[in-house]
Amino acid sequence: MKNVKKRSMLLNAALMSTALASGTLSASAQEVTVGVLVPLTGELGEFGKIVANAIQLGVAEINAAGGTSCGDIRTVIADTGGSPETGIREASKMIESEGAVAVLGPTSGVMVALVDLAKRSKTVIMSPYAGTITLNELGGDYVYRTVSSDLGDGAASGLWLKDQGYESVAFLVQNEESTISPAQVARTTLEDAGIELTDFVVYNPGQPSYQAELISVLSHEPDAIYLAGGQESGVTVIKEATAGGFEGEWLFTADLAVPEIFDAAGADLLNGRAYVEFADADNSLDEYKAFEALHIEKAGGEPGPFAANSFDMINLIALSLEASGQCSGEGINSVIRNVADGEFAVSTFADGKAAVAAGEDINYEGASGPLVFDESGTVAGAYTIQAAEGGEWVNTKFYPASSFE
Amino acid sequence: MTLLAQYFVTGIVTGCFLILATIGFSLTRRVEGFLNIAHAELLGVSAFVTWGLNVKAAWPFLPSAIFAIIFTAVVGLVVGRLFYDPIRKLGPAVLLISSVGVAYVIGGSVDALVGTGIRTLNIPLATTYRFFGVRITDYQMIVVALAALTGLSLAVFMSKTKIGLAIGAMADNPELAASRGIDILQTSRATWLLSSGLAGLAGVVLALIATLSTDLAFHQILQILAVAILAGLGSLYSVMLAGLIVGIAMDMSVFWIPAGYRPLIAFAVVILVLLVRPEGLSGRKSK
Repeated sequence: MKNVKKRSMLLNAALMSTALASGTLSASAQEVTVGVLVPLTGELGEFGKIVANAIQLGVAEINAAGGTSCGDIRTVIADTGGSPETGIREASKMIESEGAVAVLGPTSGVMVALVDLAKRSKTVIMSPYAGTITLNELGGDYVYRTVSSDLGDGAASGLWLKDQGYESVAFLVQNEESTISPAQVARTTLEDAGIELTDFVVYNPGQPSYQAELISVLSHEPDAIYLAGGQESGVTVIKEATAGGFEGEWLFTADLAVPEIFDAAGADLLNGRAYVEFADADNSLDEYKAFEALHIEKAGGEPGPFAANSFDMINLIALSLEASGQCSGEGINSVIRNVADGEFAVSTFADGKAAVAAGEDINYEGASGPLVFDESGTVAGAYTIQAAEGGEWVNTKFYPASSFE
Repeated sequence: MTLLAQYFVTGIVTGCFLILATIGFSLTRRVEGFLNIAHAELLGVSAFVTWGLNVKAAWPFLPSAIFAIIFTAVVGLVVGRLFYDPIRKLGPAVLLISSVGVAYVIGGSVDALVGTGIRTLNIPLATTYRFFGVRITDYQMIVVALAALTGLSLAVFMSKTKIGLAIGAMADNPELAASRGIDILQTSRATWLLSSGLAGLAGVVLALIATLSTDLAFHQILQILAVAILAGLGSLYSVMLAGLIVGIAMDMSVFWIPAGYRPLIAFAVVILVLLVRPEGLSGRKSK
């Protein structure tokens, strides 16, 4: 029942055609093509636009620095609408007709659908936000992401619940792979720490009420409830648990890390007793600050979610083209791990290009973090915990990637 | 034991919501002779009208709810005349498939008007009361009271009023009803108004207890179908019994098996009952 919004579709079509036109017009004699495959419409449309714009920002910087040894980077943009079928069709077009050496920006479902195509056509695919644990198995060769796996959220949640010193915790988890897998990781952390797990309830969303699911949870009076669910189920659960007499604290997952929750659930139910966990860029890094300044100057505004991760993708691709000396997906795939984890630290394409020319073994330190790919082509992430205070979410704890080593 | 009683009481509330959501659906099914899948979306229309008036226009809850019910009844009537009347002769299968399309039209319109995100009414948090250790909130009591009141008044309406008797006669045998001088068209209109108004009432209840998103209403269709099929083509009492059976079975099952299987329990109950009574609880054969 997800409906496509016609007006935003038209708007995006217009945006896309200008982007396409500018991409094509700026093409010089020698150029290398990179596909940008994002959802510009549908539920994740807002994220897709941020990603596409951050990639364009990176491309502009790279081309301004003289481009790669394969020529300037040219982008071709397509909208998946979040659909894997559309994703496969558009990616094939990019690779076969446009000669793209890499396809950047697909969401989780589209990434998984593209794994075969990427390996078969020897084209690198990379996502700045696909957390799905399916890629923990499938990723690593031609398939990369500049974001951590969903399991990392579970590790961060587990760490927080442990650090808070709760003696008993109940888990309420929406019946989806993306919520159950991290919850299981958090559960293991708790069990290892000897914290009592009173309930592990997996519930189906879309219900008018979650009273039946809450009966056992409330009867055990846990110190805290870990709630991994969407906004619709989450708000009902918060209200029903509070009305039912729950007086402990909450830890929510990323879906509830939005200001609307305070209106919907009532700020007084959350203030001082609710926390939320989500993957976040390490804002303390110099690389992030430099990116933020660039974004404010060139794009006019603070970078949105996953903008830093997207900017890092295009830089990694460009530097890998540079380091491999080959203008192909195969070339990128053969060196990308080294480029992300070499000896000589660089944080911009211009510096990296100069270092490669000087024969250095470069290590790209990204705006979103240090970027070291594990076996599955996934990077370790950093996480933020925010607390509900005075009707808004306030930063309270930051777990850098190094906390999980 | 208290815990088990708690599941039972919660099950009654779930059952009462299912009764409210299914009673209009079942009425359409008996009189118009098809499964109107779009019925679930009418719950959404009513829920969001209630929300719009209560939150956006700052009306108190009660007038918002009453207006939403009347509005939904009229929407249902218009939908019936516009989409179903012209294809009525093509039979129940065509009507059923068309109703899926109608559900998308209504759902899409609500989506376009309301937008994405979650919505809640401007009402206080539920108050919990305890009886012998078993919790029940004031909103849950309202759901039970409304289901009982609706069942009763519908029973009186169907057996005592002229239009109610006409609806009953048309449900039993349309040809016979027509030959006895019952105005088929007028009775059909009355049925659409009544069944959609009942969907409106269920939508108000949905807005009262749930967090609204534009796809929440349509999520209820499977359970509505389960209750309607279990009830069979009989009287509204079989709908009430079926609603309670499905609600109590679903919620009590959580005591023994993981909550993720609640929808499965609903249909397991339906299958088990149909194995013994293929015509459903009412035992009445379809025409």
